[in-house]
Amino acid sequence: MNIVAIETASPACAVGVRTTAGVEVTRVVNDGRRHTEALAGAMKTLLDEVELRPRDVNRVVVDRGPGLFTGLRVGIATAIAFSQALGCELVGVTSLEMLAGGAFDSGVRGTLVACVDARRGEIFVQSFLLDDAVNALDSARVTTAREIVTTWQANATSAAFTGDGVERYRNEFEYLPLATIIGQVVPSVHAELSLGAVRSPDEVVSPLYLREADAVANFTTRERPR
Amino acid sequence: MMGLVLGIETSCDETAASVVGEDFHVLSSVIESSIDQHRAFGGVVPELAGRAHVATIGPVVRRALLDAGLDPLNPAILGIAVTSGPGLIGSLLVGLSAAKAYALAWGVPFVGVNHLEGHLFAPLLERSELEWPLMTLLVSGGHSLIVLQSGPGEHKVLGETIDDAAGEAFDKVARWLGLGYPGGPEIDHLAQSGAARSLKLPLSMTGDDYDLSFSGLKTAVVRATEKQRDLPIADVAASFQAAVTEQLLRKLRRALEYHRVKGLALAGGVAANSALRAGVTELAQEFGVEAHLPAMAMCTDNAAMIAAAGTYRLRHDGPSSFDLSAAPNWQLADVS
Ligand SMILES: [Zn+2]
Repeated sequence: MNIVAIETASPACAVGVRTTAGVEVTRVVNDGRRHTEALAGAMKTLLDEVELRPRDVNRVVVDRGPGLFTGLRVGIATAIAFSQALGCELVGVTSLEMLAGGAFDSGVRGTLVACVDARRGEIFVQSFLLDDAVNALDSARVTTAREIVTTWQANATSAAFTGDGVERYRNEFEYLPLATIIGQVVPSVHAELSLGAVRSPDEVVSPLYLREADAVANFTTRERPR
Repeated sequence: MMGLVLGIETSCDETAASVVGEDFHVLSSVIESSIDQHRAFGGVVPELAGRAHVATIGPVVRRALLDAGLDPLNPAILGIAVTSGPGLIGSLLVGLSAAKAYALAWGVPFVGVNHLEGHLFAPLLERSELEWPLMTLLVSGGHSLIVLQSGPGEHKVLGETIDDAAGEAFDKVARWLGLGYPGGPEIDHLAQSGAARSLKLPLSMTGDDYDLSFSGLKTAVVRATEKQRDLPIADVAASFQAAVTEQLLRKLRRALEYHRVKGLALAGGVAANSALRAGVTELAQEFGVEAHLPAMAMCTDNAAMIAAAGTYRLRHDGPSSFDLSAAPNWQLADVS
């Protein structure tokens, strides 16, 4: 199966291709250009490198978030259009799963907390147990670095932390005595390819925002009787 | 020689796709709007519009291809035209990203089109042979311009609004009067039963240029209704609509006096306004030029007009490259 993977949930734009023959190339485009400008060209370049034509692609995997809203929309709109145009399969994975998969691939075992910078002082977070596979321990949610650190302090167990949410609030995470920080800013496209290869395809892939649109949030707060 | 062009439009709250062929013949035109989600807020909420586009873009394009009798996996098209500006950045990005992906998948060229230039191509969708030059009044919720067109793709902006767009002013006044959103149709409807002279509104923009302004009129309506609380709302609507129309027609008249044209065209969502349509028809008669009042489906945002403008741009400028950015503030005057 020839697979294309798209990652646009973080400030970088990353693309990967894995061929039926087992050849894999991945690329992170992080030169200050935004996702819209970088993505389609990067896909073309990678397909050319492995000598695949677009119509040879059997499956498109896309990071559906949580992460940057506009980035997610660029990646998912691209994945929807590309797969629909080719009549090939579409699979959505989450950025938090990709971070967990990336840590797993680099040999991390035990409890892992994946953290994506949610801006505005918040973090998208999910915990995983990495043993002989990646197992989710809870579901993705939005919270603060302070809340995560307080919780793990109370747990008094060791855990590994990874993602650009950790990098952003490194001081707070370093304060945890039993924490290991796994440096990983861009969710792993290699893990995305692996995750996407074994899932059954999705009918519809939509962004995992985990947060209401501002106007809606403000509106409901304003209208709510006090 | 023209081939089929797939147009994609996502600059505001409409997700639209269309296939246009020889002589700008419209083979399909599909429009999905997220307007119902915005009503409660009295205006388009960019984040909600962006979210809606992601959900609708795939099905809308697919339906446009099927309606045109094309194979959605291998459509016989010459290229893809997509609105790349002006508009809401989060909305533009969805259409632009999708257009690039379709272009890559099918191996066809794509071109970024200016949304306003798209509106200027609307009359060609109904009649591929027009007599040029054309004076066009483009009025919508986002834009208000008077444009002199010497031919397809050749235009000069004579004047534009210095503050609110005409449609925006309708929305704001409607909101002030407690009417629904969008405000244009609501005010137009109420105005039918109101007296246009009951509220004295100032003449605005009486200068020697073609620039427009609606913010002052809106403020005048607010002041007057605060002072005179018992004014029938229909009279306020009629007076405001008459004042907006008066300004637009006065500027158009001036434009027709100084520029010899063969036709007078109306474009944009405000082209639905009955008083404006009647006024433009009358003005065209007076100057002995043809009035072009495209059907409402072609005046409001759609992708057929983008496909038409894109057909021209593909032929004259060639395709865009994959690194094309969305241009949320792209001025019509900067299109060449
Ligand atoms: Zn428009």
